[in-house]
Amino acid sequence: MVLEHVWGLITHPKEEWKDIREQRCSVTRCYCSHVLFLAAIPAVAGFIGTSQVGWSVAADLPVKLEVDSALRIAIAFYFAMLVTVFAIGKMIHWMGQTYGAEQTLPQCIALAAYTATPLFLVGVLMIYPIPWLDFLAGIIALSYTVYLLYLGLPIMMEVDQDKGFLFSSAVLAVGLVMFVGLMATSVILWSTGMGPAFLR
Amino acid sequence: MATQDTYNYTVVRQFSVMTIIWGIVGMLVGVVIAAQMAWPVLNFDVPWLTFGRLRPLHTNAVIFAFGGSALFATSYYIVQRTCHTRLFAPGLAAFTFWGWQLVIVLAAISLPLGFSTAKEYAELEWPIDILITLVWVSYAVVFFGTIIKRKVKHIYVANWFLGAFIIVVAVLHLGNSAALPVSLTKSYSVYSGAQDAMVQWWYGHNAVGFFLTAGFLGMMYYFIPKQAERPVYSYRLSVVHFWALIFTYIWAGPHHLHYTALPDWTQSVGMVFSLILLAPSWGGMINGIMTLSGAWQKLRSDPILRFLIVSVSFYGMSTFEGPMMSIKTVNALSHYTDWTIGHVHSGALGWVALVSMGSMYYLIPRLFNREIYSVKLIEVHFWVATIGIILYITSMWVSGIMQGLMWRAVNPDGTLTYSFVESVQAMHPFYIVRFLGGAFFLLGMLIMAYNVWKTIKGATPAEAAIPAPAH
Repeated sequence: MVLEHVWGLITHPKEEWKDIREQRCSVTRCYCSHVLFLAAIPAVAGFIGTSQVGWSVAADLPVKLEVDSALRIAIAFYFAMLVTVFAIGKMIHWMGQTYGAEQTLPQCIALAAYTATPLFLVGVLMIYPIPWLDFLAGIIALSYTVYLLYLGLPIMMEVDQDKGFLFSSAVLAVGLVMFVGLMATSVILWSTGMGPAFLR
Repeated sequence: MATQDTYNYTVVRQFSVMTIIWGIVGMLVGVVIAAQMAWPVLNFDVPWLTFGRLRPLHTNAVIFAFGGSALFATSYYIVQRTCHTRLFAPGLAAFTFWGWQLVIVLAAISLPLGFSTAKEYAELEWPIDILITLVWVSYAVVFFGTIIKRKVKHIYVANWFLGAFIIVVAVLHLGNSAALPVSLTKSYSVYSGAQDAMVQWWYGHNAVGFFLTAGFLGMMYYFIPKQAERPVYSYRLSVVHFWALIFTYIWAGPHHLHYTALPDWTQSVGMVFSLILLAPSWGGMINGIMTLSGAWQKLRSDPILRFLIVSVSFYGMSTFEGPMMSIKTVNALSHYTDWTIGHVHSGALGWVALVSMGSMYYLIPRLFNREIYSVKLIEVHFWVATIGIILYITSMWVSGIMQGLMWRAVNPDGTLTYSFVESVQAMHPFYIVRFLGGAFFLLGMLIMAYNVWKTIKGATPAEAAIPAPAH
């Protein structure tokens, strides 16, 4: 079933993580039932928000992106999210040996994919972009994501709480590093002609 | 053989207590200037309360007063413990304490009055620079004197990092502060133009690399194995880490001067060495994390270990971010924006401050022969500080990228899309969040001060006998 775990991760995350673990779904299924749809939320909302609605950074007319430019960025953003989820899952799998987890790669990717749920969902706010509001909502979503990670990792990886704490911290550090890497990549792309084209 | 000798803890105790006091002062000034960025009216039109004068006070107080005191305290402790001998030249050691405090007090007076060389992180005028030199040479004599009279053959890796920090900071200080005095309070740098800028950032970046990194790595290599009760994950890696780090860091300074009058090839050299620097930095991070990983069963019950692991994680993150930002194309956007401020603080708050706090929580009970007053409060401090760091760096990421994009946005006719003041206006909400982040971090420091005060009040100073080395 498509998007079956989203609601559960918000209302009763602990039980939901156990369900996800027992399901042992393949990478394809995890992507087709969850990641492909959820990652579309920020991409589509971002496209509409930046090209149709616009935002105002200083108190004057809203700024928009050209449709072409917004579309290119939204598509790149979408694929970047898909790759990032896979890459973090791969890192979890790789680090698992250190922390005594013997999970298969699909389980690790599922952990990465479902942990990111709040961040995908909050992306809907980009449909009507108000920078400071989006930032605050993003911080709240990020906090819930971190909570899901610390809660879900010991369950998904079947390691005890103490190892899970250390393992989760390592995953969080990897996530931060990936984020910074994405920022730098975007900036490099912007400077090589893929930059946003503003309208106002 | 039991020996009657004891370690010299007096000077370690003095510096440890001052670490916490100067931490509060420096961070308070930081919170004040963060508030001024959000609400400029808070400078009350008083010259010595303006951002331009308080900002160097903030950086000097947190780097040299807070960070410096932490380095003096831990290095004097580590070098004695790992060399199995009492500190060399106790009179000179006492001079380094009182001399360093005098330097800080003079900075706290002269900077708000507006006396400044205008060199970042080296703002102090020449008479204070001479005092710093005297203190620093004494520091080197005490430290290396202790190493020379050590009772064990091997020099532990933490001492290599601390030794490199002491030597290189001496070289940097003498090189960069060379100036011609024209009066007691005014001097001119002996370098001029682009050379002056290059020397300044050779100094500036290595102040980060040696003062704020090598010294604190010395702390990491001592206190992490101690608190985790495990040997360093790979001693071989720690030695490789040392030589690679000190060789590479010294060349990275030009990345502060991308797209300036500095020759282009020099900028490229700086960028390449900054990228290479990722390797030794991550070698050190992996060594720290893997040492801690063996102590996973202690982690949840031991908040000091949590300070240490999170600090090493932030070290890893900011040493990845640094090389990314040194890439010229990235720097073209990030330079002069708040992204840089966020990067510095993920290193300064996340790495330097957290590892210092973890080390102080380890040291203070041992120096005063008391259990820490409240383990619970250490945990509260940990969470308050972590929230503060997250608020600080995320708000600076967003505002930095926004600034970069707004400043470079051009209309089809070639005119700038935004005026500068529009970008300032757009930063306002993020400056409020940054102020909150800083306030959280300061609150954590106050909690620590309370906890330490309750611990050491009425305590008798500890005397620790020097054990005979196991050969």
